[in-house]
Amino acid sequence: MSKPIKKAIEYFSLTTLACIFIFPLIWMVASSMKPESDIYLDMGTIQSLLPSSQISQWFQTYMELFSRFNIQQYIFNSISYAAVITFGSIIVNAMAGYAFAKFDFVGKKILFWLLIALLIVPVETLIITQFTVAHDLGILNTRLAVVLPMIANMFFIYLFTNFFKAVPDEIVESVKLDGANNWTIFWRIVLPMSKPAIATVGTLSFIASWNDYLWPLMVLTDTEKFPLQVAITNINSTPPVYTNQVMAILTISTIPLIIVYIVAQKYLMQGLGGSGTGIK
Amino acid sequence: MKRINLKENLVAYSFMSPALILLGTFLLLPALMAVYYAFTDYYLLTPQDKKFIGLENFVQLFNDPVFLQSLKNIFIFVICVIPIQVGAALGLALLINKNRRGNLFFKVAYFSPVVLSLVVISVLWLYLLNPSDGMINAILEKVGIEPQPFLTSPDQAMYTIVFVSAWQGAGYQMLIFLAGLQNIPSSVYEASKIDGANNWQNFLHITLPLLKPTSILIMITTLIAAFKLIIQPMVMTQGGPMNSTMTPVYYIYQTGFSDRLIGYASAMTVVFGILIGIVTIIQSRISKEDE
Repeated sequence: MSKPIKKAIEYFSLTTLACIFIFPLIWMVASSMKPESDIYLDMGTIQSLLPSSQISQWFQTYMELFSRFNIQQYIFNSISYAAVITFGSIIVNAMAGYAFAKFDFVGKKILFWLLIALLIVPVETLIITQFTVAHDLGILNTRLAVVLPMIANMFFIYLFTNFFKAVPDEIVESVKLDGANNWTIFWRIVLPMSKPAIATVGTLSFIASWNDYLWPLMVLTDTEKFPLQVAITNINSTPPVYTNQVMAILTISTIPLIIVYIVAQKYLMQGLGGSGTGIK
Repeated sequence: MKRINLKENLVAYSFMSPALILLGTFLLLPALMAVYYAFTDYYLLTPQDKKFIGLENFVQLFNDPVFLQSLKNIFIFVICVIPIQVGAALGLALLINKNRRGNLFFKVAYFSPVVLSLVVISVLWLYLLNPSDGMINAILEKVGIEPQPFLTSPDQAMYTIVFVSAWQGAGYQMLIFLAGLQNIPSSVYEASKIDGANNWQNFLHITLPLLKPTSILIMITTLIAAFKLIIQPMVMTQGGPMNSTMTPVYYIYQTGFSDRLIGYASAMTVVFGILIGIVTIIQSRISKEDE
């Protein structure tokens, strides 16, 4: 085979594959930017991947969606849940990691072994008894119930432990001689030194909490406390259902993730095995 | 004997206490409660009537056609999705592991579904796969293939979910494979070129063996994740048609949450949890032997 032909075949297959992977995403955004009837008129043609020809119609759907549903509230909910979970998970897991990395205490080995064993427990199968625990604690239908179970994470503790082990003991000891207590050392010395670990845990827990669906769906009954993911299926089942409005809410809920993936791409690879295996 | 430093213990445990309390409350306690409730007839609305019923739940479970069907479904899903998704990821990684014009665009395109949440991909594909006015059938019609029922057919629904899941997950694993490929020094290929090896031989005798640790890691994480399938069938098919996409975790959710039969759902949790645990242990044994 001659070189140009080989190259042409290569580019053809690369492009075909790219279409298969990206066309649903483009169709989603394009459909959110045109009138309902145009979506079905354009179906199967190249226009289906383009927004309306009239720019004035581009954001019409979004305005209709915002007037029908309390989208601002859902966005606020998702952002606040994700912020609390991300912040909480960095602090709580880093504290535990610091204890495992820098202290000798009774039961350290057993506890660490127990945490690793818990890593094998398939959390998703425990949803029912997690629900009864939340029920017994009387926190059902509160925002607290959404965030609390998402904060502590064995994988993140493990990540922080390994990272803190690399912080030289001499640094910690020398600050200790200067009279600083462990709390100060943790906040002033150890945490600022572990920006890469913080970024990794922060990125992964933001994505996990933003995408969380099942747990908030179970514990929340008030619509105004719903995060975006739950709002999506709610909007998709509240008649009359308009395809362009559904595509608009899908697009809105995806935008923050696109930003996070672009900004934090280098930290994502370190979360290998933690999340993002596609099928959760 | 080493003296126990009381202060050091106190400080260490206070640093760990938030994590331990949260993990204890929302992970360890639920796991223990599941084992306990599995032997009771706990119904959420009448907790005071809860009583010990021995193995009754387990006997009922193994005679429950829906549970058995869900086990069969999840095995079909796992057996199909692993080779398709991991194969696609490896193929894509090999394809873009090259310096060429426009490579970044292709990489971003293949990765793009990873950015979408499972709820988003499920709703999106629900529209694309609509048998009467969805995009996929419109395209198939253009190329002369008759419209397919996809998610509305008991024969096709699970395989459709396999496709959608593999489509979403492949891009992430492509990046992991790509990192693995870039760790193979180019001198290895140059040496084999001198020995007269062709591309196929290179792939078979150099690339594949060197990618083995990466592949095993990817297989394990995908396998365990695949067993817990719930969002896609929940949003796209509600487990139907005719329970053809009912999965164990989804059935646990329906029995325990929708029907409030905590005892029975807990028995399912125990059985299915042990099953996943065994698979995980076998997998990690196999991968350790390989190393």
